[in-house]
Amino acid sequence: MSQADVPPIPARASDSVAIGQIGIAVGSGVLRTFVGSCVGLVLHARSRRAAGLAHVMLPASNGKGTPPGKYADTAVAETLRLLCAAAGEKSLSCTAKLVGGATMFAFHSGIPIGEQNVLALERILGDLGIPITGRICGGSHGRRLAVDVVTGAVTVETAGHGTETLV
Amino acid sequence: MKDATNHRLTVLFHHGAADASSALAKWLGRPATLSVERMDTLPIEEAAAVMGSSETLICGCAMRIDGAIGGLLLLAADDAAGLSLADTLLERPTGTSTSWGDLERSAVIETANIVGCAYLNAICAALGPAGADGILPSPPVFLRDFPEAVMEGVLMEQPVLSDIVLLARTEFRIDGTPVRCGLVFLPDAAGVAALLPPSGDPEAT
Repeated sequence: MSQADVPPIPARASDSVAIGQIGIAVGSGVLRTFVGSCVGLVLHARSRRAAGLAHVMLPASNGKGTPPGKYADTAVAETLRLLCAAAGEKSLSCTAKLVGGATMFAFHSGIPIGEQNVLALERILGDLGIPITGRICGGSHGRRLAVDVVTGAVTVETAGHGTETLV
Repeated sequence: MKDATNHRLTVLFHHGAADASSALAKWLGRPATLSVERMDTLPIEEAAAVMGSSETLICGCAMRIDGAIGGLLLLAADDAAGLSLADTLLERPTGTSTSWGDLERSAVIETANIVGCAYLNAICAALGPAGADGILPSPPVFLRDFPEAVMEGVLMEQPVLSDIVLLARTEFRIDGTPVRCGLVFLPDAAGVAALLPPSGDPEAT
């Protein structure tokens, strides 16, 4: 992770991934989303210049699973499946980055939902052998993130705390 | 949302807005009104975007509500409007407050407490026996963040996150002038059941 003096990420709707959804891009482009206690799951296949971004809201689908990007236990597999389909491959070697999982409000006791989301994704990615090469998680502020499809670099702007880049 | 349901909810929330207007005017010591701007049932991705998406941060005070109508109440404003509200409460010339210190935060938190409780207590009273238990509000929490992150935080506070959420939005006027400040109430499943007819489904009536 490197601190960078880069300008704030401009808000753009055209390539943004909505809450609970999955975005995929191949070849070039930028995928964007915002997260508070949700987690932005980034999967990147450098060899195919392909990236997937899931906006994960909850750690477990408990059998519901729709939309698949909403739950950690369905988002990883679905993002991977969509990424392979978009790249025209049966399987891909990917790396992962995680952003978000903040505790926006502390009204409840127990493990905050944001932390549960991060833990669930770490476990699932570990089970699948997908290395996590960068993360900016926790805290109490929302974040905007932008994924460079070619390089897999993730630029993260944290509210009131500047911008960092996960390379 | 069907017309009958929308009408029922609008009437209920008008009661809330009327009492909250009185409470805010008394608290500020000048004319102030809250009016129900919209009652909506929205897909969660649309609900997450109701505060808009801007480069600037907004401030908000959130209260977890338990009791007859559970849910989460949020008083949100852009920075300038929030600081102006703090100036009014602290009896300073508008523009005096330029950052969020303890005093400014405290002024806005107390506003959320007073206005929010008046709003929801009036709705409970209008519900009749269904609202007899009243509300149990948590202490308000202050935050300053991206608009979409604030709204996401509100949505994520629901114990069971539905794909469709009921959202009540209220706008403010102080001295007859619109203030870039709003009150959002997101009832939880029990709150929706209390507010709606027996089917509990906002699309059903």
